[in-house]
Amino acid sequence: MSRSGLLFPGIFASFALSLGATVLLPFSQLGGLSPDFKSEDGLVSEIYPIPVQGLPQIGKQVYVAQGCQACHTQFIRGVEASDIERGWGERRTVARDYVSEKGSPLGSLRIGPDLSNVGSVKWRNEPLGDPSAPAKRDASWHLRHLYNPKERLQDSNMPSYRHLFETRKQVGAPSSDALSLSGEAAPEPGYEVVPTASAKALVAYLGSLDRSHPLKEAGAGSVASQKK
Amino acid sequence: MTVAISQKDQVLTPSVAAQKGYPDVRADIDNVTRPVVFGLFTTAIMWLVVASVLNCITALKLQFPSFLNFSFLSYGRVAPAAEGVFLLGWCSLAGMGVGLWIVMRQSSRTSPGVGMAYLGVGLWNLGVLVGLVATLMGQVRPFAGLEFPFASAVLIFAGFSFVAFWLFLSFDGGAENTPIASMFVLGAICWFVWSFLTGNLLLSSNRFTGAMEHIVSAWTSHGLVWLWLVPLAFGVAYYLVPKVTGRPIFSGPVARVSFWLFFILGGLTSMVQLSGGPVPLWLTSVGSGASILLLVPIGAIIYNLYASAKGSDRVGVSPSASFVRFGLIVALVAAAFAALGSLRSVDHIVHSTLFHVGVQSLVLQGFVSMVIFGAIYYIMPRLSGCEWISSSLISLHFLGASYGVAMGCVMLLLSGVFSGIDLADADSLFSQVLQSSAFFYWGRTMSFGLLFVGYAAFVLHFVLMVLRIGQPEGEATLMRGAHGH
Repeated sequence: MSRSGLLFPGIFASFALSLGATVLLPFSQLGGLSPDFKSEDGLVSEIYPIPVQGLPQIGKQVYVAQGCQACHTQFIRGVEASDIERGWGERRTVARDYVSEKGSPLGSLRIGPDLSNVGSVKWRNEPLGDPSAPAKRDASWHLRHLYNPKERLQDSNMPSYRHLFETRKQVGAPSSDALSLSGEAAPEPGYEVVPTASAKALVAYLGSLDRSHPLKEAGAGSVASQKK
Repeated sequence: MTVAISQKDQVLTPSVAAQKGYPDVRADIDNVTRPVVFGLFTTAIMWLVVASVLNCITALKLQFPSFLNFSFLSYGRVAPAAEGVFLLGWCSLAGMGVGLWIVMRQSSRTSPGVGMAYLGVGLWNLGVLVGLVATLMGQVRPFAGLEFPFASAVLIFAGFSFVAFWLFLSFDGGAENTPIASMFVLGAICWFVWSFLTGNLLLSSNRFTGAMEHIVSAWTSHGLVWLWLVPLAFGVAYYLVPKVTGRPIFSGPVARVSFWLFFILGGLTSMVQLSGGPVPLWLTSVGSGASILLLVPIGAIIYNLYASAKGSDRVGVSPSASFVRFGLIVALVAAAFAALGSLRSVDHIVHSTLFHVGVQSLVLQGFVSMVIFGAIYYIMPRLSGCEWISSSLISLHFLGASYGVAMGCVMLLLSGVFSGIDLADADSLFSQVLQSSAFFYWGRTMSFGLLFVGYAAFVLHFVLMVLRIGQPEGEATLMRGAHGH
């Protein structure tokens, strides 16, 4: 039906158009982004985002390996969506928020809440003033939540991540790491539940997640260095 | 080329060909391709079983989060494993088997060096196995649709390329005209090779970080579905419809124009996935516009096939025609939902919900898989020398698969819409969002019961065919008139 000679160049042209328009063109726009903000004299006055390092970096690998990104996103949509009203963030996230990251777990499905800013003290997943909301979501709250989500949030459909914890016989005084569990979640008497290194790293990563730094392109205030 | 053949297209095994004095070329081709196509089909069907079990576990886990709560079977690992095995194992291997057979038949020649095709099938399967094990062990990439690790992608790419290279050696590029079916199959293969290679290389480059990585991965994973499997399935439909009905393609010019429009527009639709994400707004607008325009070539392709088959008395009784017809109707529905979902007003509601999983299931389970089943019903008798033994098993497969797919996808789409509406309403609690999906999770889980019945009938039938337990060759096994025609 068609001259065979045209088939392969034609298909290649469609491929080149697709690659050019939807990958290379955005790369020309975003590829030059850098976390350095420079003042007028050319010196770096501010760095955002600061690359994830140390324990949170290990925790990010745990996050990805456990497949958290299958249910949790890490991007905030603008005011047209309910993300900001729900308390997941104060502004939409933009390309610069991720520029220092290789393999950021952006996610695509929201079976659970968005976690872009879960490390921020302002993060919430309940309406303001809801009495059932946790007082604060600190490291010990996250550990207990990972161990038994339903104990912390009754309506949660998150599975337990017990395999990131160790139930061991208590020898002498209770370990300082041991989770303070009560009711069904509590271990047998004489035993204690302690987080593994992976669980601690994961919680450190969650605690590090905060993309609320004001950015001009996200339409939320102005950064000091940009005012100059 | 649209060969109009007699309605009783007989099986052309070497013995039949010799008796009838046919030139032996088709039988020769079948002799060379048989082990390769058998290998692709058999391993693909094994992956279909694995993926179906994993998919069912995924669905159950949404309902009962503590079901099978082992680290290697956590939801976040089983879900991408199921998706990867279904797409790169079942759909791709079986699709390659069908595509290879069609191109070799249409170009009427084969090439030496079949050993490289065996090597390819082996590497490809090893790649899927590595991907499956690695994903369950947590060695994944955090990119939706491309979770299998780099090592697995390398093996799959190498395997695919060996098979494709052997196919291209056999393709008669000097011929004046390439049949439209072969054009689609060859175009799809080229797209897979180029985009899978480019995407994986860019992802491993340090210059691509943050949002750019997700642009690349969305482009690559979208290409796997919409520019490899979808055009492949269209090519298969273009092959089967004239063969089964004994009529030529309705319009050659429509076929050609829609072919080119499909590839040009299809390549621009991928960024809809990232709408609302940290990417430039114009990028998702391009994707949205292209998704809507893509309805034109897809509609034209399906109309062309419909007009070719219209009025043929074979459509209701031939297994191949029934599966292809179902698949094409689903393709139109899926393309319409994809276009609808790309509109900004709709996307605000359904983004990040199971709606998009539903559209993807329509495409992969409802269209691509069903067309491949139809092709396997056509091809296997020609390779094994006997006809399918039981028309009841074929009907059972069709009923189970079609109702199962329809029910599962409707549940996913509805769950996406209802949870999306709740999600968009900032006054509704997050726990309410979860509850509004719960009912549909039940329906989806039950749809697997239907799918399993259908797939079990097919797998049993296929095994019998490989063992050459069937009806004597000659008269094709038709379906019972179970679906009202």
